Amino acid sequence: MKNRLLQAYKQAPWRIQIQWIGLFLLGLVLIGSVTGLYLNISAQAATSGRRIQSLERNINNINNEIAQLTADLAAARSIESMKERAETLGFVMIDPHNAIYVEVQGFNPRADLELAPPRVNMIAETPILRSAYRISLWDWFIGQIWPGTTDSPPVEEVIVP
Amino acid sequence: MKMPNYPRYIIIALVCLAMGVAIVVQMVRINYTTFAMDLIARAENYQGVRKTIYPPRGTIYDRSGNILATNQIGYEVGIDLKFVTDPESIAFAAASLLDNLDYLDVFELANTEKRANENRYYVLANFVSKEKIQEIEQLKAHYVTRRQEARSTKPSLSGLVWTPMQQRVYPEDQLAANVLGFYNYFSRESAQGVFGVEEAYNRLLTGKPQTVFLPNDPYLVEALPDFDPGASLILTIDREIQKMLEDTLDEAIDWAGATGGTIIVADPKTGEILGMASTPFFNPNEYWKYQETFPGITPYNRAVGTAYEPGSVFKVITMAAALDSGVADLNTTYNDGSGVYWVANSWPIYNWNFGAWGVQDMTGCMRHSLNVCLAYVAIDLLGEELFYQYLQAFGFGRSTGIDMASEANYPMRLPENNQWMIMDLATNSYGQGIAVTPIQMVMAVSALANDGRMMMPHVVRGVVDRGQQYNVTPQVINSPISAETARVMTDMLTYSLEEEASVALVPGYRVAGKTGTGDIPTELGYTSKLTNASFVGWGPSDDPQFVVYVWIEKPTISPWGSEVAAPVFRDVVEKLVVLMRIPPDNVRLQLIND
Repeated sequence: MKNRLLQAYKQAPWRIQIQWIGLFLLGLVLIGSVTGLYLNISAQAATSGRRIQSLERNINNINNEIAQLTADLAAARSIESMKERAETLGFVMIDPHNAIYVEVQGFNPRADLELAPPRVNMIAETPILRSAYRISLWDWFIGQIWPGTTDSPPVEEVIVP
Repeated sequence: MKMPNYPRYIIIALVCLAMGVAIVVQMVRINYTTFAMDLIARAENYQGVRKTIYPPRGTIYDRSGNILATNQIGYEVGIDLKFVTDPESIAFAAASLLDNLDYLDVFELANTEKRANENRYYVLANFVSKEKIQEIEQLKAHYVTRRQEARSTKPSLSGLVWTPMQQRVYPEDQLAANVLGFYNYFSRESAQGVFGVEEAYNRLLTGKPQTVFLPNDPYLVEALPDFDPGASLILTIDREIQKMLEDTLDEAIDWAGATGGTIIVADPKTGEILGMASTPFFNPNEYWKYQETFPGITPYNRAVGTAYEPGSVFKVITMAAALDSGVADLNTTYNDGSGVYWVANSWPIYNWNFGAWGVQDMTGCMRHSLNVCLAYVAIDLLGEELFYQYLQAFGFGRSTGIDMASEANYPMRLPENNQWMIMDLATNSYGQGIAVTPIQMVMAVSALANDGRMMMPHVVRGVVDRGQQYNVTPQVINSPISAETARVMTDMLTYSLEEEASVALVPGYRVAGKTGTGDIPTELGYTSKLTNASFVGWGPSDDPQFVVYVWIEKPTISPWGSEVAAPVFRDVVEKLVVLMRIPPDNVRLQLIND
């Protein structure tokens, strides 16, 4: 009876082999998948790294190009260069005694040069008392349940030009 | 059943254990030996390079936005030994196309057989021009063609590499160089601004260099941190006025046979320097020629760097002090009966022509520039205490604080000093025995042209930093005299010029001014026949918008300020009013009335 039962329970050897092979292949697939994923991410990271390096080089090149163009423009607009071009075009220097003055409304020859927005001081005014101490318990409680319903004073931000 | 051979297993296990322990011990030892740092550094050498990034130096603009100093591209040329296949060709190209390189030196560096185990990159030249790089590129392309034709690996410039970098450039060449200074960019790490605003604002212009690690491993690459470029400066200098001043000064020095000179134009209401010319002129693009242009103790900018005895232009200060303190008024007279004033009955003071001018009021004293009268005013009316109090209030004896490097200041001899004598008071009253810089004179005179308010002279009008512009607010340094005294002085000196029919007069414009002829002291006293000719003037008299100071050093055509400096003043003002768009007085007053 005992032998019979064992006989019924025991798998056929070929099935055990197939199971082991299956398990091994499953492990292999898992390892392959993880390796593939890892390689994919690594490749992407490496590509991104190279791309960053390339973009940095581009930024550097563009900055250099801008600097060179600015220098070239400055040389082209230099006073000697402008004078030469003006003379080529037939202009002559004004005789101060023959200068004619015309009033042009709104023209201010000595206006300040603005190359960038003026300085702005951002001073966040820090309240002396926290809002929690400036409102009633009820207002605070309501504010916690339905934010925005209480009229607690906002924190002012003063912009001083 | 046979038992396993345990001792053999134990021996193998022990050997493995010993090897493991040895590896760990060696690892620890490597990390803690004196060579550890060297090894780590070597390892890092393969991991990437550590590089210091210098932010671009700030641009310098004139008051209208024209660029006076900026950066252009230069190239670093080097040899990367990893790629060198033909050291002979590299040595030939470098020696023939780049300056100051020797064939044998370059060959020695490029010869990979000898240098295989050493450094892998050598810098051959810095700040090579774009044109030179184009020549190298053409040669490289030519070699490629030759190799293809000959089916050979030579000739080749492989391994000869170049990297762009920014270098300082002054597009206007010598224009305003005495104000700008220069930037000695060849010294790379230790480069800094020298003289002028380049030195005074060096830290702002430079920005903050950052050292970053650039890994070879792409996994470790990160974006470079943002770094702020150096701040840019907007100067008060007007490019057109500066050019006009430099041309006029150049012509004046040639005409007068002088050794040097300076001209300053300032706005008396703000203290802004609109133009400042000084000889010798210098091209900061070739800053390495500095020693040739400024031999010995030649100052880089006479306007701020040289103190001299100004002569009679200083009388305006003495007279302003006398009128402001109330010890004299326009009706006060001085009887110049003999043409000599005796100081403490011992030392004689003479007029410029050794003549006697009779009874003169204060306007007459200024008009005829009488030394004896001014000595009388200083000694008998003002007294030493009041006189030197006023001089100090006018800023003499200390630096003006102008925002330029290398400002000179010659200390004033005061009554409390042992070496001071009453004779000093007499001579100081007409500008001898006292040394001042032209910029000190301009600052002091700005009080006369600006209702008694003396403004801080400055050349920077604004700073652009991190996308925001900070404008400089004009500062009143002191009010040494009242507004009324300032107007009286202006009227007095306008009238003096007109009555004298001075060559300094400008048709259509009323201007106030004073000539000056300063004797030059030598080791033996005032024995030199050469002088310093000066003129200070401002206008239009009813609403002064400019102060002009002219100093011509050691003119040979004539010793007198009235004959040398006054015509230069007129030439400058005639052109200046056009550039500043100041109409003639009648037109201007009509426009105001309309």
